[in-house]
Amino acid sequence: MSTHTSQYQKKDLPPVVGQVGFGLLGVGLLLALVSFFVDPLRTKFISIMLFMFLAGIGVTSLFMVAIEYLAGAVWSTPLRRIFEMFSSLILFLPIFALPVVFSMQDLYEWTHKTDEILARKAAYLNQPFFMVRLAVIIGLWIVFYKLFTGNSLKQDTTQDQSLTAKNVKLSALFIPVMGLSITALSIDFLMSLEPHWFSTIFGVNFFIGSLTAALAVITIAVVLLNENGYLHPGTVRDHYYSLGFGMIAATVFWMYTAFSQGMLIWYANIPEETPWYLHRWDGDWKVITLAQILVHFIIPFFLLVQRKNKRNPNRMLFASVWILFAHLFDLYWVVMPAYRPQGPIIGWNELGFVLLAAGVIITVFHQQTKRKNLVAVGDPKLQRGLEFRL
Amino acid sequence: MQVANKTNAVEGPDFSKETPVVLSSPSFHDITEVISRPIESKAGMKWYIALAVAVSLFMLEIFCWGISFYYGTGMWGNNIPVAWAFPIVNFVFWIGIGHAGTLISAILFLFRQKWRNGIARFAEGMTIFAVMTAGLFPLFHTGRPWLPLYLFPYPNKHAVWTNFLSPLLWDVFAVSTYFTVSLCFWYVGLIPDFATLRDRTLGKDFISKVRKTVYSVLSLGWRFSNRHWRHYERVYLILAGVSTPLVLSVHTIVSFDFAVAGLPGWHTTIFPPYFVAGAIFSGFAMVVTVLVFIRYIFDMEHIITIDTLEKMNKIILLTGTLVGYAYGMEFFIAWYSGNIVEQFAFINRAFGPYAWAYWIMISCNVITPQIFWFRNLRRSVPIMFIASIFVNIGMWFERYVITVTTLVRDFLPSSWGWYNPTLVDFGLLIGSFGMFFTLTLLFVKFMPVVAISEVKGVLAQAKPHHHHGGGHE
Repeated sequence: MSTHTSQYQKKDLPPVVGQVGFGLLGVGLLLALVSFFVDPLRTKFISIMLFMFLAGIGVTSLFMVAIEYLAGAVWSTPLRRIFEMFSSLILFLPIFALPVVFSMQDLYEWTHKTDEILARKAAYLNQPFFMVRLAVIIGLWIVFYKLFTGNSLKQDTTQDQSLTAKNVKLSALFIPVMGLSITALSIDFLMSLEPHWFSTIFGVNFFIGSLTAALAVITIAVVLLNENGYLHPGTVRDHYYSLGFGMIAATVFWMYTAFSQGMLIWYANIPEETPWYLHRWDGDWKVITLAQILVHFIIPFFLLVQRKNKRNPNRMLFASVWILFAHLFDLYWVVMPAYRPQGPIIGWNELGFVLLAAGVIITVFHQQTKRKNLVAVGDPKLQRGLEFRL
Repeated sequence: MQVANKTNAVEGPDFSKETPVVLSSPSFHDITEVISRPIESKAGMKWYIALAVAVSLFMLEIFCWGISFYYGTGMWGNNIPVAWAFPIVNFVFWIGIGHAGTLISAILFLFRQKWRNGIARFAEGMTIFAVMTAGLFPLFHTGRPWLPLYLFPYPNKHAVWTNFLSPLLWDVFAVSTYFTVSLCFWYVGLIPDFATLRDRTLGKDFISKVRKTVYSVLSLGWRFSNRHWRHYERVYLILAGVSTPLVLSVHTIVSFDFAVAGLPGWHTTIFPPYFVAGAIFSGFAMVVTVLVFIRYIFDMEHIITIDTLEKMNKIILLTGTLVGYAYGMEFFIAWYSGNIVEQFAFINRAFGPYAWAYWIMISCNVITPQIFWFRNLRRSVPIMFIASIFVNIGMWFERYVITVTTLVRDFLPSSWGWYNPTLVDFGLLIGSFGMFFTLTLLFVKFMPVVAISEVKGVLAQAKPHHHHGGGHE
């Protein structure tokens, strides 16, 4: 098999991808609308999950792009365009933020209630500042997205090395910006659902959970595209291996941050901190809490720990789907106890949200593939990336 | 396209080519020669002077341990309310120093970072010496260092068990596991190099015979056979996998010593990863501090290249900024919590009587590494040497700030106190550097400070498709 960069020929994705995307999007939207009329409050809480799911995947995909430039990695260069395409979810975040923004009064206790503690936080937890933060965060992400992908696409035709150098500099700026912004976003949208509670590691935990999900989405796309010959023919199982390596590393790190938070709060047993976990220990929430360990750590860990699994397309697909499920499960566990403290409830409303999320991701990705090469053909590192072997 | 590539080569780095890990394309034999020379030749005057200084400081440490042993921990400044002070600060500081070695040898190995090969051996050695230096502090802090067996849970006739709920006990397990695994990893990596030294020791005099015997025993009958290499690489990979969680676990558990307590300033959920980032930060700084000398003295500037040092400085920038993120989050969440006790702890840190220590910490740990945003500063040896020393000062002060500022201000003002370190405290702090550098200097004299076989593995001619006398094009 030749690994020469000129081997790549762009092929359009079969129309079935678009049909599936639109289908899921349609059904998801319909269910969401019905859900909104049947059970508005529940749907509003679900919309937080949807927004944070898409925001997390979008920005951590862009993080993968940035980290490749910054670390000088080559294994991911043949796949980088896929990362860029998923990070285009960032462009649609304002739409998905709207349902949350318009129902803040119902979702966030701090918007309308106050007490001694909340009064002390009012300088941060107030609606105008919340909006400003949201606008700044999404605005910054869009700017970085445009700059990164703009340079990368230009390189397809010009093969200009200085564009890589530009993106390297951009990455160095993006990483700290992303670190602070994703922390702020997770505090605003998730942590402030229970506004008395606080945890310093919360932002890290959300970031790394989103990264597992982004890698899972990327893996599904890469494996399906490559096995059907849409990527460069020099993309091999060693590239899958590296994605799997990233997923298992992120999964383990997610467990580590979750453990840091849970264990320290349990051990210190301070009344300011324990309520958040106690809400997740009441009634059947306990089942969800304990299941997290299995769903989000033990199963993905054993799915991915062996090298042969990371090189096997079908097993990688299974593991990726599982990890996406695990991330949704985690978001559900973070968001929904605020809606229904007495116990978890999972029905067609939640299913509709999953279908909608899948529909959005597939449709956005499909639209992206229409206009762009699926491989960064002009990247100077592409040749080395294709020669990458374990 | 050809024209475009040529102009770009002038403007900036060429991304289509791998940066060579080793410069001036030496042969395999050159590598063996350069790395074996310091071991086989007589040590220079500089080495003896350095050793004399280090051993003197080590003697000071032994003297201070002796005093602490004979008179007890009352010789230290520790007192209520500051019952934890210099000893725990030094312990955490030295354990942190060790983390660079494990990160470089294990995690960077799993990430297939070839540039690590030139520095891995030295950093691993440092890990072991740092852990040895660190381990003495808690041992003496128990007050009865002659009863170390009581630290381990074992069935005994008194039916006395250790307190399994105490993170201090977890430390015993974590640190001893870390030391054991690091030692195995280091030794396994050394086996082929010991065999090389064994084969090169040809003299018939007494010293040479002793050397030959020692290296023969240490190399465990290694004959460079294909089968040996296959086993070796398998074991190396497994040990790297085993060591990887240890990079995180050890400092995580060290952070638990503080974070499980319900004290403001100690109890915060970001402590575990924040301590790990800080440990890697200080460890890399220490590796840079020492490495810039070693590569100069031993003429290894083409093996431990400026590119390698630049990459290390990037990691220092990254981890320093992560530590800065943790400081920021601590401060912000203390405010956000609305808890006045928590808020007081942080305001007291930054503006209270120990503000000087806090601002030393901030300026050394967060501000100093920011100079590495600039490429020419990352690649300047004097700058990185000074910066790395600042980082280590800052990281020592970080642990001092965490430990002391929280304890001096107890919950009731009537219980507030002060902390004055004694001369013995300072003697142990300074002396611990003596112990560390004594071991380091002996290591660089008697063992290959760079992994001979690993460096050969990243040379151009080690690649299976290497063409003699011609580039890839």
